[in-house]
Amino acid sequence: MNSTAPAEGPGMKFFVAVWIGLMAIVGVEVFLTYRHLPPRELLVLLLALAFVEAGIALWYFMHLKFERAALVWSLVPAFIFVVFMMDHFWPDAFRMASMKLLER
Amino acid sequence: MEMAAGHHPIVMEKSPYGIPPGKLAMWCFVISDAVTFSAVLFAYGYLRVGSPDWIAPFQFFPTIVNGLVMTFVLLTSGLTMLAAVEAAKQGRTAAGTRWLWATCALGALFAVLHLLEWRRMLEEGWRLFQNPTGGSVHFGAAFFSVTGLHLLHVIGGVIALAIIAIGFARGKYNRIDVEITGIYWHFVDLVWMFVFPLVYLMNAK
Amino acid sequence: MSEAQAHAEVHHHSPPTSFIGKYVFSVDHKVIGLQYYGLGLLAVIIGMVLSWLMRLHLGWSTLAIPGLEKLSAAGAPGNVMTPEYYLSLMTMHGTIMVFFVLTNVPFAGFGNYFLPIQVGAADMSFPHMNMMSFWVTFTAFLVLMAAFFVPGGPPLSGWTAYAPLSAVGVEAGPGQGTGQTLWAISIAIFCVAQLLGALNFISTTLDLRTKGMSLARLPFSAWAWFITSVIGLLAFAVLLPACILLFLDRVAGTSFFIPSGLVISDKMQAHTGGSPLLWQHLFWFFGHPEVYIAILPAVGIVSHILPVFMRKPLLGPRVLVGCMVAIGFLSYMVWGHHMFVSGMNPFSAILFSVPTLVITIPATIATLLWIGSVYGSRMRFTTAALFCLGFISVFISGGISGFFLAQPSIDTYLHATYFVVAHFHFVMGVAAIFAMFAGTYFWMPKMTGRMMNETLGKVHFWLTFVGVYCIFMPMHYLGLAGNVRRYAAFTDDFLSPLIPVHQFITIAALITGAAQFIFLFNLIWSRLRGPKAPDNPWQATSLEWSTTSPPPFDNFGGRQLVVNHQPYEYGVEGPDGDYIMQTAPEAAKAR
Repeated sequence: MNSTAPAEGPGMKFFVAVWIGLMAIVGVEVFLTYRHLPPRELLVLLLALAFVEAGIALWYFMHLKFERAALVWSLVPAFIFVVFMMDHFWPDAFRMASMKLLER
Repeated sequence: MEMAAGHHPIVMEKSPYGIPPGKLAMWCFVISDAVTFSAVLFAYGYLRVGSPDWIAPFQFFPTIVNGLVMTFVLLTSGLTMLAAVEAAKQGRTAAGTRWLWATCALGALFAVLHLLEWRRMLEEGWRLFQNPTGGSVHFGAAFFSVTGLHLLHVIGGVIALAIIAIGFARGKYNRIDVEITGIYWHFVDLVWMFVFPLVYLMNAK
Repeated sequence: MSEAQAHAEVHHHSPPTSFIGKYVFSVDHKVIGLQYYGLGLLAVIIGMVLSWLMRLHLGWSTLAIPGLEKLSAAGAPGNVMTPEYYLSLMTMHGTIMVFFVLTNVPFAGFGNYFLPIQVGAADMSFPHMNMMSFWVTFTAFLVLMAAFFVPGGPPLSGWTAYAPLSAVGVEAGPGQGTGQTLWAISIAIFCVAQLLGALNFISTTLDLRTKGMSLARLPFSAWAWFITSVIGLLAFAVLLPACILLFLDRVAGTSFFIPSGLVISDKMQAHTGGSPLLWQHLFWFFGHPEVYIAILPAVGIVSHILPVFMRKPLLGPRVLVGCMVAIGFLSYMVWGHHMFVSGMNPFSAILFSVPTLVITIPATIATLLWIGSVYGSRMRFTTAALFCLGFISVFISGGISGFFLAQPSIDTYLHATYFVVAHFHFVMGVAAIFAMFAGTYFWMPKMTGRMMNETLGKVHFWLTFVGVYCIFMPMHYLGLAGNVRRYAAFTDDFLSPLIPVHQFITIAALITGAAQFIFLFNLIWSRLRGPKAPDNPWQATSLEWSTTSPPPFDNFGGRQLVVNHQPYEYGVEGPDGDYIMQTAPEAAKAR
């Protein structure tokens, strides 16, 4: 039969610590925003931090850490692969900027 | 072995993931929905990159502050959701139900804050097709469609949480159902972790 | 209560008693499967009639078709089709066929009916959600059909609905008002239904396999349905927001897909700054995996049926499953080959062309496995077997043209010609349909408890097989000669000599279409008057043949099935003949 014993996990104290950590990351994001970095640099940093936050949320809040590795390896690479493929869109996006008819 | 008619076989092959079907289905749904949000965010990025007349319009106050408050509310609702799951795991139904309602309330608060923000922006002249600052009209299109899609998911989650809370208190739903709802709710929070930086912070003045 | 009990209790539901509960709002996967099949049958008839109307016009562009004016006064004044209405009919033909036939029948139809049975379960994981999937699909169908009857009629932008034509609204042409909006809504609803269905398929395959049914013992059809549902889960997830954004462009004044400076009918469009290429990227990102969603269940079904009638297992079964997985994976890397001439970055074209050529490899390996298996086998030429062999033939015919189209240099010439029309009709419109026929002739005895008439089946096969080659083979030459597609009539000097070819194709299409009524008659007559089918008329081994024809409500009459064998043990010394059923006791080993 399907083994569905409750996944072991840490207590609420740990989750509160994670929550504080996530808010700290949000704080860093806001701090970086007002450093007036060039947009591309800001984007890279914000995306990196967002992925870190997402990873933490998936790993701890959504309990992926306590599930079987097979689940992680099935879900995460599939998602990353599909989204990575969407990067094919960018060349046409960048080209559009230099071809645009500026209208008001 | 003979079983009474209508009963289903209990001895089955082990699932490779060791989780109940409902949980696996919710994970698959989350991945699919994540791809949907990714597509919308890519569309936003595509149009932004392709629009040389893009102007970042958001002031620190009120927009970024409001966004921070919403982020705080949603993150906290993630914490209350965890408390609900923990309580459910330990069989503490009353506590679990209370935490579910707390999560539901925080989610509803998020939705209200968001709608108030929308109302303020509409009053300033923002539309899906209109930009009162004179910048790219795609700003409104991207902003309202991305945040609108997220808001729909929040509202759906709030309704689901209410249904689960009521049912859990009555014994109709068990701790696995609470966990499954938790996965959805945390996903909604996770999407916001991308929406806030990409839509709000990247458009801060 | 324990987890397992909680799990088992969730699926306990007793048989319904009312008519509505039994046949309309049923949670029984078998009824739902038949509902999908029935919807697909209705859709394919409508789609086929649309194709006849198109073909008649292509052959004889001034022809007055009786009754057409009643369907659309604006579209066919005096019963003669306008070019715009031709495009509308073409759009609906493509949309109906791709979504409501090809995505519907091999996957949702046969899959819903047979996946739970083939894994040894009593139903799908989520029977109520399954019921909802069907009714949501049906709603999508009704919304689409409504487009025929609204002012302006159905959209004319093709099933691909390219922007800005599809995005600007009613000034772009007849049917581009309400019709196109209904299209966008219908397809968005369809996406939701497919996503729900995929969740059920994935969960059922992984979690509800009976004792002994390891993943290695799954029949090819079950593997195909599983892989297809994973592809669909990720692909429909992109079409849904694309349709929503298209909807917003149409009704909310956004310009996601509409560029600046667009002048239509002397009127400057208010939209500004969007990208038609963005629509193409989003659409084909879905659209290419979609064609594999259409063909993989067909591959699975054919691979499942062939061993039964060859009385021997397929060569390289694990390789075949690997090929299906490889195709699924690669299908996400190739969509740009639909966009080689779109103005997309030409370097991207290389990045798309290479995986497109690579994806031909697993498809070729699968084909070689089938051919290698069939060679030297003592085939029982039942109708189902004939359609499987026909599938291999048309899959090759259609696949080979793909090798050419995969190369940007050649595609620059062949894009938007009849060469492409030939290619996709062979692989989707013929191969997948052949698999549906094979599945029908094979599984109808199980589903209805009646045998279909083999003589009528064979007549149907031969007429159809010869017919489809007459219809679609000449299209390759038309394309090479420069015959553009999506034109209602060919009056240019260089195209008018080709009109006799079109007329030949039209006649072939009408005859082949008429031959389908033999199938329809066979289907209905056999259902009502056919000889009763035994539990296992084909001496086949997979789990669906371990139960009655048709199966009882919970599929196995309360029995717990235990699986001890692979699904294709044919041509061996078994307890009942030259085969060993999957449920045969372990002691019954192959000689």
